[in-house]
Amino acid sequence: MALSRTLLAALCVLPAASAAISFNRDIRPIMADTCFRCHGPDKNSRMANLRLDLREEAVKPRRNGAAPIVPGDPGASLIVKRIFSENPALLMPPKAAHKDLSPAQRNTIRQWVQEGAVYEGHWAYQPVQRPPVPEAKWKDRVRNPIDAFVQARLAGTKLEPAPEADKRTLLRRVSLDLTGIPPTPAEIEAFENDTASDAYAKVVNRLMASDRYAEKQAMLWLDAVRYADTCGFHGDNAFPAWPFRDYVLRSIRDNLPFDQFTREQLAGDLLPDADDRTRTASAFNRLTRTSAEGGLQPKEYLAKYGADRVRTLSSVWLGSTMGCAECHDHKFDPFLARDFYSMKAFFADIRETGLVPDQGEKAWGDQLMLPDAVQKERWESIAANLAKTRQALSAKRVELGAAKAFEWEKALLERFRRGDLDWNVQRPVKATSRGGATLRIYNDEALLGVFDRGGSVISEAAPGNGMIVAEGMVPDRDAYIVDLRPGAGVWASLGLEVISDDRLPGARLARGSDRLVVSAVEAFSGNSKLRFSGARSNMTFWDAGLTPWGAIDDDPNTAWGAATYRTFRTAFLALDLADPLTTGADSVIRVVVRNDSKFRRAQPGRFRIALARDRAAQPVADREAKPTVAGMSPELVKAIETPAEDRTEAQWELTGDLVDSTHEALTPAWAALMRAEADRVVLREEIPRVVATVSVEPEPTRILARGNFLDESGDVVQPAIPAFLGKLETGGKRATRLDLANWLVDKNNPLTARAYANRTWRQLFGTGLSKVLEDLGSQGEWPTHPELLDWLAAEFMTPSWEPAGAHSWDMRHLVRTIVMSHAYRQSSSPSPAALQADPENRLLARQSRYRVEAEVVRDIALSVSGLLAEKFGGPSVKPYQPRGYLVALNFPRRDYSESWGEDLYRRGLYTFWQRTFLHPSIAAFDAPTREECTVNRTSSNTPLQSLVLLNDPIYVEAARVFGQNMVARGGKSPAERIAWGFRQAVGRTPTTEETGVLAELYRNNLDRYQTAPAEARKLVSAGEYPIAVNGEPADIAASITVARAILNLHETITRN
Amino acid sequence: MADFHTQIARRTFLRRTGAGLAALRTLLAKGTTGVVQPLHHAAKAKRVIFLYQAGGPSHLETFDPKPKLKEMHGKPMPESFTKGQQIAQLQGRPLVCFGPQFDFQRYGASGQQMTTLFPQMGSIADDVCIVRSMWTEQINHDPAHTVMNSGAIVTGRPSMGSWILYGLGAETEDLPGFVVLMSSGRGGQMQPIAARQWSAGILPSKFQGVKLNSVGDPVLYIRNPEGIGDAVQADSIRAINRLNKLQYDALEDPEIQTRIAQYEMAARMQTSVPGLMDVSKEPAKILDDYGAKPGDGSFASNCLLARRLAERGVRFIQLYHRDWDHHAGIAGNMPLKAEEVDRPTAALIRDLKERGMLDETLVVWGGEFGRTPMSQGGSGRDHHIKGFSYMMAGGGIKPGITYGATDELGYAAVENPVSVHDFHATMLHLLGIDHLRLTVKYQGLDARLTGISGEVVRGILA
Repeated sequence: MALSRTLLAALCVLPAASAAISFNRDIRPIMADTCFRCHGPDKNSRMANLRLDLREEAVKPRRNGAAPIVPGDPGASLIVKRIFSENPALLMPPKAAHKDLSPAQRNTIRQWVQEGAVYEGHWAYQPVQRPPVPEAKWKDRVRNPIDAFVQARLAGTKLEPAPEADKRTLLRRVSLDLTGIPPTPAEIEAFENDTASDAYAKVVNRLMASDRYAEKQAMLWLDAVRYADTCGFHGDNAFPAWPFRDYVLRSIRDNLPFDQFTREQLAGDLLPDADDRTRTASAFNRLTRTSAEGGLQPKEYLAKYGADRVRTLSSVWLGSTMGCAECHDHKFDPFLARDFYSMKAFFADIRETGLVPDQGEKAWGDQLMLPDAVQKERWESIAANLAKTRQALSAKRVELGAAKAFEWEKALLERFRRGDLDWNVQRPVKATSRGGATLRIYNDEALLGVFDRGGSVISEAAPGNGMIVAEGMVPDRDAYIVDLRPGAGVWASLGLEVISDDRLPGARLARGSDRLVVSAVEAFSGNSKLRFSGARSNMTFWDAGLTPWGAIDDDPNTAWGAATYRTFRTAFLALDLADPLTTGADSVIRVVVRNDSKFRRAQPGRFRIALARDRAAQPVADREAKPTVAGMSPELVKAIETPAEDRTEAQWELTGDLVDSTHEALTPAWAALMRAEADRVVLREEIPRVVATVSVEPEPTRILARGNFLDESGDVVQPAIPAFLGKLETGGKRATRLDLANWLVDKNNPLTARAYANRTWRQLFGTGLSKVLEDLGSQGEWPTHPELLDWLAAEFMTPSWEPAGAHSWDMRHLVRTIVMSHAYRQSSSPSPAALQADPENRLLARQSRYRVEAEVVRDIALSVSGLLAEKFGGPSVKPYQPRGYLVALNFPRRDYSESWGEDLYRRGLYTFWQRTFLHPSIAAFDAPTREECTVNRTSSNTPLQSLVLLNDPIYVEAARVFGQNMVARGGKSPAERIAWGFRQAVGRTPTTEETGVLAELYRNNLDRYQTAPAEARKLVSAGEYPIAVNGEPADIAASITVARAILNLHETITRN
Repeated sequence: MADFHTQIARRTFLRRTGAGLAALRTLLAKGTTGVVQPLHHAAKAKRVIFLYQAGGPSHLETFDPKPKLKEMHGKPMPESFTKGQQIAQLQGRPLVCFGPQFDFQRYGASGQQMTTLFPQMGSIADDVCIVRSMWTEQINHDPAHTVMNSGAIVTGRPSMGSWILYGLGAETEDLPGFVVLMSSGRGGQMQPIAARQWSAGILPSKFQGVKLNSVGDPVLYIRNPEGIGDAVQADSIRAINRLNKLQYDALEDPEIQTRIAQYEMAARMQTSVPGLMDVSKEPAKILDDYGAKPGDGSFASNCLLARRLAERGVRFIQLYHRDWDHHAGIAGNMPLKAEEVDRPTAALIRDLKERGMLDETLVVWGGEFGRTPMSQGGSGRDHHIKGFSYMMAGGGIKPGITYGATDELGYAAVENPVSVHDFHATMLHLLGIDHLRLTVKYQGLDARLTGISGEVVRGILA
């Protein structure tokens, strides 16, 4: 309501180009808002059997002989009578609709009827025709045809185009718009000194040729195609998607034609010359949110995934809202429910399940492996080795023979029953943490445990029996040093039992992170380090490259651990000693458990250490922390007891594994196979992967009445484009995603180029020519400059202005054409008249001024301070994030592990995109969660943004480094440094008054830090970025506060 | 967006009338205004406290006694109830009746029936209204939360708190107008809850819920960084705003004024939030009534915080209490959950009443769905959407009544069914908003909290 009122107010401000009423400009917006709901295309909500959206219906006489519209005769027209009626019972729209017409609107409708009630087809559905370029009025302010169109609109007003912005402002604007990185003072100086007529063109070309250009332009496309790093439902676990992001980056860098870009994303797997690059592109189809929640109804979710694709497709390419047609015919535009499902049918060939597993071997369904040449070679050699070792183990099995194996099993069971296989849990004599945690030993002392037992969370206090609990400080990496006094004995295996507790954030096992990672276990007897010959674990599925061998292979990059949320109570690692260890009554054994991995805080929270006399002791998930752990699980005992002919598949697997891993004749061959498998698992984790679109026999697609997936009575539909837009010619064959893509980028498609050009305009002016980016339909907005929008759409498809080197559907050419215009280059400072007449700047008598996007807010701070680490593409990174932010998540329970080193300082677009809990610092600046396609980011201004810029550690660290650079490079006096810092951040020299404010801040804080040197030291060492501190801490600290103030300025995060 | 335009209009007005920064500040100091001006009708409630029981509490063990189900315990569920209905984890399994695990009791003069596990809530039975005929349309947690919060299955729509803040603004300028608190306890599996549940969706993000954390920083980034003391912080904010003001004087861009106001509010939040969170100065009796221990992050502590937030003018306060997802062990787990919620819920309502705030505060207690009358695994109940219960109090709700009913086995709401949209329409009505008229243009349509349906439930209005 409020919007339509202001919209009208705006329309009143904007004088119409001519006095005659235009249906599309003047009437359709009114009718769409107030009439079509009941008198429009949707037959189910139509009242009085009357349509006003079609002229032939509207002029048809009713039963009583009167016609709703009598062209040229408002007095005889029923609709005019009804909208002017003073009788509430007759007044239209009815009071209950809360859609009152203003007097101006009523008059407009009357005038339109008077003028003959001429209808026009909705503008956005008419073919794009390049309009003639009008005569420009202000010829000295014309750079290209865009300006002629803008001036034609201004001609009837009192406004005129603003002069070109000063060079500094212009360079900052175009640098931020094209690359998201502000210009350096040196770049500004060079531009200011370049008096050549093509100085600006050179700058534009330079910026567009950079990787930064691709990074900036990719951001909004990634919003549109809802690219993210997690699946978005329920456990919201990470899925392999980032190679798709890199595909987008490279495509923009290489300026792929948009038609090809479209075909590859929708149907890269179906192209005749499909390759890994185009198949990666087609991951677009798999970026829908998916769920792994137990108990979901697969059909319901398949319906959700399909509907998501139609919504995304129609918003991004068609600039249309088809979402509502999932349940009913569109109320205002000619999209029918049948169209919705016919569009959905294009995607029915994609192999997928309703429940998409988020862990285990089947996780995420079809995937594309993208190894580089080295990885490919290693993969092949590992595969060969696997085949070889597998064969060797088979041979050994045959050699052993079934009869002997059974005999051995029975004998082993006897040994187990005698207690020979028991794990003797050790009561440690000492436990310390090298990283600074407090390790407490619980022997007979009761210890509270909270754990999940079959879906119920139980808390219980019981003696720890040797439990070591890490408390207090949580270092990023740690080494636990545990001294044991096992007493006299001969030992064959060492066990590490990591015990879960519901309160532990790292998958219930680790102190942080989302997983347990033990990168090494070492044992010492006296001065000698014990050697291990084998490693086994109760977790037989090795996910995330975590294998038992990882703990004993002396490689800090490999590790054992757990990254899934299966509800085991304990994770047990059994390590076989290469030589039996003999201990005396007082011998002390030292065990070191380390996390040196890249996963911060993934070290165990609670653990015990055990020794076994018999290497046959199995790694077992114990339910309770008893003094001894039985060396066989009840399931294994049962399996052995079961006669061969009665054993289930699962039991065969258990006993088979037992024989392989434990029988002396087989263990060497088994160990070789397991090492090869570990190599495979580790390499698999290293190889980039992306969810893949795999085409199979299409599932039938039905129209779901009111979107209800349980109702299977609807018609089966074939893939088809919306009926009112035409029909695909496929020679009788079922239309494919490729046919769909080809139609989207057919030059006769009226919507695609308009929708894209409109969005591109929004990127460079802050508002689209039609403001409603996601809906060019009748509920959208009549463009402020319809001819300009059509010219741009035509220019996008077929370049004509400076076309050298450009191609059809040239995304870069479109951007270049716009930024080269005078309209783009003009000053953003409004004249008082412009501000009064056109506060929203819809007439473009000036440039706009607005806050940069969330990612760019970050990029500016990092680049200005000198922290930015520029690297094109690669896996998503995890910047600092408040601890506990993910506490509301589960499956697994998790915390967050920040990246290391330069990955902490990457551009915002590389941030790990956690859909249900987007990084709070970019979320505060309106970055969308990408749970759903977003083509129009909101832009707000909130106190949380202030808190982010003031207090988020990355901005504090940026200020720290910036402040240090000010001291080191900015000059001697505070005033010089302030000027230097100001130029870095906003590209200009501060005024005397501004210098005064910052100099005062510096002086006050210098006094404070001189009396509080400890505070100064804290500030000058903020963050992890290493930098030598030269100079007096108080001076640097005070300078940091100045740098921080500069980074917080509205001007710093604003593009003018 | 409408709000953007009203802002522009207001700013233009301010500039034209020569009113500057100072005027804007006084204007803001009284709180923030919403787009519903004047209210569509007289409001009964000024604010909402939503005690959101996440995971899906069983109506059959809380507010909806079913003796017939008890009789049928162990017998097959009649197919007439379940045929063609959505089923979650029980898909393809035999459906067997599972009798209520706890007795019910009549409480108060009104004789309202609740479980014997809720003696404290029973003691305020005459102040509350029980709705036994809620139903929803999504059977898995994540989408069901989304429907309950935003009225839509498709994500990206504003949550109810955002709508209300957008419509009404808040009476505070020191705190966010929409606050979310979260707690969990024992006795159930903890289901994830996405931040989208308090998202502003298509509205500007200033209308989003702000989560207050009981552990770590109460509001993200609210604490001064290491090495930045209060004086340095205050001076820095002053310097930032002086510089922003110089820019404003040069450019007259209203966004700069807003930025200045937001830095001022950030500074106020830095002071006010720690004070708000510190409940240790509450009288011992109050702490005891709620069963709250300062800083423990429990539901009880959050209930007490909710009252403090209400006193300070926060418009929408939503407490998530988790782990109601009782697929198993309902007999063992319900007493644990009841122990966590019974006393604080009752204490909050009583406390509000004693302070004269209950009349203007709508308190709601309920989750995203209910649980099946059928057994899951012999000890639990599956997700259920056809019928479940809500409890409401204050803010124009008729006290001491039970409204609506499920069938004799507690399967489907059959008498006066209340959809999520009906519930939202009623809540907005109590706040003085006509749900049909609180809309925002999105994708060319008038988006609203109640989608395309929703009727005010007149039968529960006082």
